[in-house]
Amino acid sequence: MRVSLARFVLKRPETSAVVVTAILVTFLTITTGGTWLSFANLQSVSRITAVLAIMAFGEALVISTGEVDVSVGSVFAMGALIFIGVGRTVNLGVALLLALGGGLLIGLLNGAVVAFFRVPSLIVTLGTLFLFRGIAYGVTEGFYFGASDEVRSRLIFNVMGGANLGGVNVAVLWALVALLVLHVVMFYMPMGNRILAVGGNAASAYSRGVNVARVRLIVFALSGLLAAFAGMLDAASIGYVDGSFGELMELEAIAAAVLGGCSLVGGRCSLLGTLLGAFLLRAVGSYLVILGIQPQWFILLLGVIVVLASLSDRVLTKLLFRLQQR
Amino acid sequence: METERAPLISLRNVNLWYGTVQALRDVSVDFYQGELVGLVGDNGAGKTSLVNIISGIVAPTSGEVYLDGQRITSFHPKLAIDLGVETTQQSVGLCDNLSIARNYFLGREPVRRIAGIPFIDLGKMRKEGRKAITAFGLRESVDVDGEVALLSGGERQAFKIARAVYFRSRILIMDEPTNNLSVRERERVNDLAVQLKDQSLLVIYITHDIFQIHRIADRFIILENGAKVADVPRNLMSAEDLERIIREGVGNDAGSPRSG
Ligand SMILES: Nc1ncnc2c1ncn2[C@@H]1O[C@H](COP(=O)(O)OP(=O)(O)OP(=O)(O)O)[C@@H](O)[C@H]1O
Ligand SMILES: [Mg+2]
Repeated sequence: MRVSLARFVLKRPETSAVVVTAILVTFLTITTGGTWLSFANLQSVSRITAVLAIMAFGEALVISTGEVDVSVGSVFAMGALIFIGVGRTVNLGVALLLALGGGLLIGLLNGAVVAFFRVPSLIVTLGTLFLFRGIAYGVTEGFYFGASDEVRSRLIFNVMGGANLGGVNVAVLWALVALLVLHVVMFYMPMGNRILAVGGNAASAYSRGVNVARVRLIVFALSGLLAAFAGMLDAASIGYVDGSFGELMELEAIAAAVLGGCSLVGGRCSLLGTLLGAFLLRAVGSYLVILGIQPQWFILLLGVIVVLASLSDRVLTKLLFRLQQR
Repeated sequence: METERAPLISLRNVNLWYGTVQALRDVSVDFYQGELVGLVGDNGAGKTSLVNIISGIVAPTSGEVYLDGQRITSFHPKLAIDLGVETTQQSVGLCDNLSIARNYFLGREPVRRIAGIPFIDLGKMRKEGRKAITAFGLRESVDVDGEVALLSGGERQAFKIARAVYFRSRILIMDEPTNNLSVRERERVNDLAVQLKDQSLLVIYITHDIFQIHRIADRFIILENGAKVADVPRNLMSAEDLERIIREGVGNDAGSPRSG
């Protein structure tokens, strides 16, 4: 009985993320004398967690197939720039479609090169990372795009990140919807089964009739779509966007997914864990802000967290294996 | 040619190159419905390569493939499966990270549609997966929700065969199906191959166990260095002769290396 409970707990990929989150929240709250747990701080942490989580969900799907998408930070910027840029000059509805469509297209481009030419995804998406970051800097020319008061009052703008409901930003609701939908797709629909199969053993999946190229195309497309969506939500709630928007966020998205229990070699995925991973990173970030520590140190801390998480993943896997041998 | 029946599968002058390695050389062969064909030959003779073409894993570099007299022009496992080819592969077919139930139905998951959205029928996957486990002499303790990685070599093999038998339709290809199996399970697989043939399936059976296959097959195809060197009905060749040919070769390859 004791062993089977332990087995169940260890079998869940998000276990280490849950444990680390619980310890961390306690630590952050105590060491800031309760400030960290204040409503104002939680409000901001929940919003920035939601934005990162939506991007990280897409990354988690890509990682589940054994690939990686490092272009998401740039796609995030494109989504934000198109939404605000086109929204203030043309029309918000058109801007929404173009922003999401743009993200989807970049994802499809990444996916097509990976799926049909078998170019390593790190290389392909590194290319699109530079390409679209260059475009982001190019179109903003060192300035930023801001949303006018008129635009900010529009319904689409509010639904897409502008509004707070009961103090909680709509991005949080969007993240929960995305979590629910993607969790169902991954674990209760054929597509999820095939995504995990491709990550586990692509040749075996292929031999069973799985269209491996299509699976790869789909996860990259979703990753692009979600990154653009996250960028839009973030830009709408802040109200402006510049060329550096979302820079280095791809690393946080990868870290969130890995912290959450997604295996970088593929075949193992947890979206709930990814949400917790995103929360962990953003919680630590806000802690540094409260303590008045320079944000540059966050990068260092990010590195430490990722290394520790990958180590704990190894330890957990070994423990799990030993338990299953019984 | 040799019979008035039309072949189910027909390969014509098939060549297959893996880069600079020629795995199949000008192979022409017919397979008929309701026969059990033993495909034999030395390691690296091209047996797996030949069946990989039929099950859509690889496309021939040149030559023609016909199914029901229809020329096959695109090669993809999904297409082969849809046309009725079920295969137990030699080295692929299982995803270690997925549960037994999920592996069983991988690629053709049973679904229940709610508002048109396909949800995996987990209940059915578990039930059929469990049936396969018990029917195929896997340990009672094997859990359908457990990862395939936890199965032993023989259990993995038994699982692959059970799955292929479950999904069988017209053509069953078994690539060294008795590897890792106990004597009892081996008997079982051989009996099954005969039964399926009697149900008028075409069974293509690859093995290195010449005496076993000689007992059950109707016909043997011998490959040597990628070329077909013999295609004989059982009554025209003894098991000893069969073995001798495989061991000594027919010596018509003029010493040409496989790679070049
Ligand atoms: N994917 C591949 N890439 C390169 N060469 C390959 C590949 N698959 C097979 N070969 C080569 O093609 C030749 C035929 O291999 P094949 O697997 O068809 O032999 P086989 O008759 O099935 O052998 P065995 O009895 O050992 O399974 C061998 O020389 C092998 O090295
Ligand atoms: Mg072989």
